[in-house]
Amino acid sequence: MCGIVDYIGDKQAQPILLSSLSRLEYRGYDSCGIAVSSSPPRRIEAYKDAVRVEALAKMVPQLGGTAGIGHTRWATCGEPSQVNAHPHCDCAGNIAVVHNGVINNFQRLRQQLTSEGHNFVSETDTEVIPHLIEKYYDGNLEKAVEAALRDVEGSYAIVVLMAGEPKLVAAKKDSPLIIGIGDRENFIASDVPAILDYTNRVIYLEEGDIGVVTKDNIKIKRDGTEVSRKEHKILWSIEEAQKGGYEHFMLKEIHEQPKVIRDTLGEYTSSAEPVVDLARIRDEGIESMLILACGTSYYAALVGKYIVEELLRIPVRVEIASEFSYYGQTLARTGAIVITQSGETADTLKAVKRLKEVGCRVVAITNVVGSSASRIADQTIYTRAGPEISVAATKSFTAQLMVLYWLAMGYSKADARRLATMLLGLRQLPSKVQQVLDNEAIILEHAKYLSKYENVFFIGRGINFPVALEGALKLKEISYIHAEGYAAGELKHGPFALLGENTPVIAIVAQDNTYEVMLTNIKEVKARKSPLIALAEEGDEAIGELADFVITVPRVDALFSPVVNTVALQLLAYYTAKERGCPIDFPRNLAKSVTVE
Amino acid sequence: MKQAVILAAGEGQRLRPFTVTKPKVMLSIAGKPILQYVVESLALNGIRNIVLVVGYRREQVFDYMGSGEQFGVDITYITQERQLGTAHALAQAKAATENEFLVLPGDNLIEADTIGQFVAIKPEAMLVKRVDNPTRYGVVTIDNGMVKDIVEKPREAKSNVVNTGIYAFTTEIFSFIEAQLDIPDVLNNMLAQGEPISAQKTDGTWLDIVYPWDILSLNDAVLRQIQTNLGGTIETGVSLKGLVSVGKDTVIRSNSYIVGPVVIGNNCDIGPNVCILPATSIGDNVVISPFSNVKNSVISDDISIGPSCIIQDSVIDKGCVIKGHFTACSDQADVEVDDEHHLVNIGAMLGEGCSLGNNVVAQPGVIVGNHCQVQALKLLSGRLPDKSLVF
Repeated sequence: MCGIVDYIGDKQAQPILLSSLSRLEYRGYDSCGIAVSSSPPRRIEAYKDAVRVEALAKMVPQLGGTAGIGHTRWATCGEPSQVNAHPHCDCAGNIAVVHNGVINNFQRLRQQLTSEGHNFVSETDTEVIPHLIEKYYDGNLEKAVEAALRDVEGSYAIVVLMAGEPKLVAAKKDSPLIIGIGDRENFIASDVPAILDYTNRVIYLEEGDIGVVTKDNIKIKRDGTEVSRKEHKILWSIEEAQKGGYEHFMLKEIHEQPKVIRDTLGEYTSSAEPVVDLARIRDEGIESMLILACGTSYYAALVGKYIVEELLRIPVRVEIASEFSYYGQTLARTGAIVITQSGETADTLKAVKRLKEVGCRVVAITNVVGSSASRIADQTIYTRAGPEISVAATKSFTAQLMVLYWLAMGYSKADARRLATMLLGLRQLPSKVQQVLDNEAIILEHAKYLSKYENVFFIGRGINFPVALEGALKLKEISYIHAEGYAAGELKHGPFALLGENTPVIAIVAQDNTYEVMLTNIKEVKARKSPLIALAEEGDEAIGELADFVITVPRVDALFSPVVNTVALQLLAYYTAKERGCPIDFPRNLAKSVTVE
Repeated sequence: MKQAVILAAGEGQRLRPFTVTKPKVMLSIAGKPILQYVVESLALNGIRNIVLVVGYRREQVFDYMGSGEQFGVDITYITQERQLGTAHALAQAKAATENEFLVLPGDNLIEADTIGQFVAIKPEAMLVKRVDNPTRYGVVTIDNGMVKDIVEKPREAKSNVVNTGIYAFTTEIFSFIEAQLDIPDVLNNMLAQGEPISAQKTDGTWLDIVYPWDILSLNDAVLRQIQTNLGGTIETGVSLKGLVSVGKDTVIRSNSYIVGPVVIGNNCDIGPNVCILPATSIGDNVVISPFSNVKNSVISDDISIGPSCIIQDSVIDKGCVIKGHFTACSDQADVEVDDEHHLVNIGAMLGEGCSLGNNVVAQPGVIVGNHCQVQALKLLSGRLPDKSLVF
């Protein structure tokens, strides 16, 4: 997983590449580099290192040229280092390539090319590409790229720059790539935020496309014949990709959640025609539903299981997409939903392809218009979260839940009276979430306390069990505290051995049919001397006597409690990480969208 | 003049409960926070470089204003950690200012015309306005277009010309801010040292907000000038008269009768048979059930109003759930704020997130805190603190 950005036009490429690269750091940031084609003299000048973009911008000398390519890396093949950073060049240093993806057969290609006299300097899979292009080049760069890619097995989004060729050649297979259309200038990038400063007109490349981009022309070919691709207008503004007063994107994004819910509500409740009618899915004889996702989206899927089972009364199976490849027998008569924020999660995409082969109808829930998931699924429902920059997912989780509520509620044949009270509950939800945000000073106090510990358990039951998992994930990924989410009843099957005064337990206490037994679980934990922080509804007096600390959240319909509880836990994780001085938006070893399996 | 500093850090204690979770500048008037009117007025006058001094509950400002792009301006945020007065607030912005700039209060409703001529004035200068009740403000003595002195909240006013809190300064001003905590003190000090400060009068809109019921008069003033815009779905049999604006995805159901000026936000569900009378603002995501009657009120976001309610001269903050037959009739009431008694004609002031059972009656002038819960058939009067339970 890496970020690519490229420019060709009348302006100097270097400053544009560097500022655009900094917007792609959420895709990876262990090293970065740029290459610019100068003329005259006709040559490629490259500069790269294992540093963040900001540091590179200070180090790099001025490279003159109006066409260039840039890359920010998240290491998959070869450790983060200067030689392994992109761009990679051929032997003569005339061809520079940036790449996102994995070349599976690179070992064999490398041996072959070495035996033919090519000289490799890095440990990366990517380096075979410039050498292959060099091998096949006989005056036509485009043809050479096509020929080179015929030898390559794996996934890639690549962009090629060659000295003396006033164009960029791009190719895409299983990794995202877009072209941005400017005025006498064009851009290529992995993702839209990279180029939003310059243009909002975008073309999404399809699988197998090869694009040839000059400053005033874009030509896209597939299997040798020219094809046309629709232009999209991006409606979010660059402002949405900036911090707007906040210290971190994560806090800004946590605070955007009331607005996300309100926007989503308007969007979905007003549309006359349902995108997907789950009730119809049921009527068509589909007896069960399968939801696939990874990471935070997987926890949203687990909440979705409770929502759909409660409202539609059909069994729902939730699977981790990265495991689904190894088992997961599925019938065609299963309604399948996949959830992926980026729409590019490699494991999820692979699972979708498999489901389609079996004959399942696949609905994708994603935040990115035109993403790979939206193109391979039968239907796509977009979450209205806007771009999420923080590596830790927050508002996209809430937006995913909103879609799941809407799917299950709007078109289910549930009791009309139940639906009316639920709709009222949904309308209240933005204010309830705002209430959690308004009380963050109290959460900050608990975070100070929590930040001193190295091990934490989160427990929940019923619809709030996935919330415990999500709370633990948020805490561990940004504060580096070892945190585990557990179903409250499972603690006694092992983890009790780890409890004690140095292991706080955070209990999510919902006012539903799990309440009484949850209190029993809390007593069990207290008997093992663990400090206990309860996340409880306002007005719950019994909990105050059992727990050491109580974080109160507003009272909502039990079905919506995951939303308010998760927001409270997001804040807890954020302030704990801040207290510990962690780099919150870019936690170590993590990247925003996982485009490798 | 290319730059403006807006002072937006203040809390507005006398406006509680509405300012418990948001700063005064974020109080909503006719569907927009006061601060937005100030920012839009500046943008209309070509001032797009804006420094916002924020403090109390600043997240609310960040969440709404963002980078300013949406409003056609560039915003730089400066934090005043403790609210020690307007001069102290301005001093925080020193590093972000250059040459000449305007200074404006973010909590006064200022329209583009009000500052239209002032933006071209030579600093140091003050914008003044003639008002009816000058003793609430800083009364300014002017001689030949120059400020002579400023007397804050005098018992007896020598004139009815007051300081609007809108100034044009050069960076020179920072050398005069020492121990003084408020800008008028700094200016009096400058005058004493013989520094000239010119005065310009305006006849444009400049409205201050001090007490909760001031929200109603500001709302009335702004609504008179709204643009009509009908989004959403208006069912047959609905009567719309005068200036009425309806947001997108909103449904106005049959037989509702709406007399403008009225602003209704997005995604609301109103009616059937609901009567909305001037001058009323309704936020986003609001439900008003059949046979309810709302007059001269400000209803915020995410509110549900049950059937057959009467709501007059009232302010209801976001997230309230009000069951049927709630009555908040307007009449003259003696309302106490900070040990001062005020005789005003108002209905009820409801803080956010309140939950009211069926048939609750609010006496005129009641101020209900945030997140109060009231059981059915209760009579509310006086002032209820936040999170009160009325059983």
